[in-house]
Amino acid sequence: MTGRAGRLAAVGIIALIASAHVGSPDTYFEGAAGPYPVRVIVRSPGVVPGLAQITVRLLSPLPQGTLPRRVLVLPVYWDPQTAAPPPPDVAQHVPGDSTLYSAALWLMRGGSYSVQVTVEGAAGSGTALVPVMAVATRRLALDKALGAALLGLGVFLFAGAVTLIGAAVRESGLEPGAVPDQRRRRRSRVAMGVATVVFGLALVGGRRWWNGVDAEYRSGLFQPLHATATVRSAGGAQVLRLAIDDTSWTNPKRQWTPLVPDHGHLMHLFLVRDSTLDAFAHLHPLPLDSITFETSLPPLPRGRYRIYADIVHESGFAPTLVSSVDISSAGGSWRPSDRDDAWTTGNAQRGTGNAVALQDGSTMTWERGDTPIVVDQEAPLRFVVTDPTGRPASLEAYMGMAGHLMLTRDDGAVFVHLHPAGTVSLAAVETFALRQPGDTVRGLLGARLTAMEKRSGERGAVLDGAPPMPGVHRGESLPAPGALSFPYAFPKPGPYRLFVQVKRAGRILTGVFDAEVRPAR
Amino acid sequence: MSVAVAERSTARIPWYVGALVIAATSAVVGVIWDISWHRTIGRDTFWTPAHMAIYLGGALAGAACGWLVLQTTLRGTPEEKAAGVTFWGFRGPLGAWVAIWGAIAMLASGPFDNWWHNAYGLDVKVLSPPHVILALGFTGIQLGALFLVQSLQNRAGESGRRVTGLLVAFGAGILVQNIAIMGIEQIAFPNSAHNGLYYKVAGAAFPLVLIAVARASRLKWAATATATAYLAISLVMIWVLQLFPATPKLAPVFNPVTHMVAPPFPLLLVVPAAALDILVQRWGPGRDWRLALFGGVTFVAVFFVTQWFFAEFLLTPYARNFWFGVDQWDYSSRVREWRYQFWRIRDDPVTPAKLGIAALLAVCSARIGLWWGNWMAGLRR
Repeated sequence: MTGRAGRLAAVGIIALIASAHVGSPDTYFEGAAGPYPVRVIVRSPGVVPGLAQITVRLLSPLPQGTLPRRVLVLPVYWDPQTAAPPPPDVAQHVPGDSTLYSAALWLMRGGSYSVQVTVEGAAGSGTALVPVMAVATRRLALDKALGAALLGLGVFLFAGAVTLIGAAVRESGLEPGAVPDQRRRRRSRVAMGVATVVFGLALVGGRRWWNGVDAEYRSGLFQPLHATATVRSAGGAQVLRLAIDDTSWTNPKRQWTPLVPDHGHLMHLFLVRDSTLDAFAHLHPLPLDSITFETSLPPLPRGRYRIYADIVHESGFAPTLVSSVDISSAGGSWRPSDRDDAWTTGNAQRGTGNAVALQDGSTMTWERGDTPIVVDQEAPLRFVVTDPTGRPASLEAYMGMAGHLMLTRDDGAVFVHLHPAGTVSLAAVETFALRQPGDTVRGLLGARLTAMEKRSGERGAVLDGAPPMPGVHRGESLPAPGALSFPYAFPKPGPYRLFVQVKRAGRILTGVFDAEVRPAR
Repeated sequence: MSVAVAERSTARIPWYVGALVIAATSAVVGVIWDISWHRTIGRDTFWTPAHMAIYLGGALAGAACGWLVLQTTLRGTPEEKAAGVTFWGFRGPLGAWVAIWGAIAMLASGPFDNWWHNAYGLDVKVLSPPHVILALGFTGIQLGALFLVQSLQNRAGESGRRVTGLLVAFGAGILVQNIAIMGIEQIAFPNSAHNGLYYKVAGAAFPLVLIAVARASRLKWAATATATAYLAISLVMIWVLQLFPATPKLAPVFNPVTHMVAPPFPLLLVVPAAALDILVQRWGPGRDWRLALFGGVTFVAVFFVTQWFFAEFLLTPYARNFWFGVDQWDYSSRVREWRYQFWRIRDDPVTPAKLGIAALLAVCSARIGLWWGNWMAGLRR
């Protein structure tokens, strides 16, 4: 075991990232904090600085059958120059649920954090790292009741202040019992007039101030880097080019940290046919330079496609780039740019079936049960793959994972790339686990990560020696027979389509399902 | 105790005056405590004791003055009603109404501030619209307290003048404390005492209150007493806060403090305040322009000499002890040699021209203060 791997072994790994997704800011994770299996959910505050709510659920089986002494949580900013954390917070028991703990996380700066979740108990203690992105994603509207109440108070205060000025000028200097004369009354009226103008101007200034703050905040809302996609023909094949043409990325003085590979790929790109959602591809473009990525395009049907591209920065920040492209001619021959590329088509009609036939004759079944899927409630995302004889299929690791689940709302407002360990980017976990205090030069950690992957000769192998995460596998065979599940709760109601990808006998298989998510009551 | 009784028994302080003075004190103590909280612990909730002290000020002022005006209006004797001013059909002393206005402003700032945090983030900037409303609110309570004790003093017989005069000085001292808090970035730290801005801000802000109270109070040394009250509040807070263990709870922690960070040592306003008192004693009403001119210039001259050298002392090892409480820095500060140095002396050195501007500002401040003081001297209700 290397020294670095030793460090990793000492720090158990929980990874979760809220950001490599569209319209889904919360973070879900399932894994281990030392001997304790846990599920962690971090609810994004949507503002920065803000308070994120974290819940830690201890999962069965509990080691030695006993609850831990305490659960600690601590968010640590990625930058070694500013990461000087305070002592961790003790997460409190949620009343009525002995295995659930909760706490608030103070995320004071925008950017990438690792949340250290430590569980201490009789079975020992373990710490899990949960990458979380703090970004401002929304601006809260002023609801009508509160707005009306504040307006009422404002009017009262304004009128009250003017009245006070009038009363002060008219009566306050008179001996008790004396009646103000005409001169005092006139001066009082003049004073009230002047006060109305002065206070009115102050209000106008206050309004301008508020509007300025609001405009500044809106301009600072998180936007992924701008990217432009184009398709061109090359030697009978079609090539998709995605250029990160955002000035904040192309500027030589940019503040962004460089990209690091996730499962050996600098970019995971997804194509979803617009409107019908009946064509889907999961590709891994190769970088031509630091801006341009290209990949050979599979023979997808003509049409407009939504593009989602997951990238991971050296800081652990893992955004999803969003773009779109028109594919005007059906492609010819396809030589995948990468052996992990896969695509599927068909399924134009929405269905409610729980079992779908996969391309190799096996069957994928969604064990969704009869319970409706509801917003912000844990969704039953459990899938079983059986071979043509009906027995559990033997699955292989697909990019180090037992499976990948991409889900999108029909209108594209939500797109999420899930693994059995949750909304996890392994690369983000790696950056936090391997970061050293001396990593103050940008690119240093990324270069080390890449070198480690190359030396190991295996994608996603950097974390060898670390405690396991569910569904993360470095070998080619999986111990569990054909079953996989994903911890997640849908963020918005509406119709969704799910693409579940597994690998069997060297072939990447995609099962397509539809779901209707109900609003929370 | 009724208003009428209060007038007759001037040596005793009516309950509502006591309540309002306590409320104003609670609010200013809460603000100093809250600043220390943010410099030491970093994170807070609505329910921190510092916030409770601030809101206790609002609640106590609102409840006491609200009760007073309701009682006066609905069940008051003709004398009691006659001793108040009219506000939308209700009767009560002007100070009570100002305090009620302040309490309602504080009440309004609560939900507004909560929404602001949820919409734009947790206190991205200290100076925000809801915080300004909160500051207006507790300043209203402090002004209300000052007006109330001022009218009490103005109606008091000889036996009550000293007590009420001291109360006026204390109320004004709270206002001076408020000003010092609002100028924390410019005039709080001794490291700024060799900057031009330091004297401009002090010149513009302090003569206003000091000369107003010197004119309005019946104490001979009213401005000095006011500055002493400010000094006393500051010292008590310095000595008490640093006794309490506390640790930072917000990243990044570059300065792992172990106790509540004390506020900076207060300005020695007692010296220029004494000079102002002498001038006010020398020139009574009717020579206000001359008084403003000499008062402003004198204030800056005496303040400059006092603070210039006293700040040098505060940066020496002799001041780094419990009594002066200096060299205490925020948990997020990377403490280096800068803490013992004068800041920005190349960018903003003190020059005769800047002292001239400071003196001009002080003259204007003193003139406004005299108008205000004359009005307060006539306050009867």
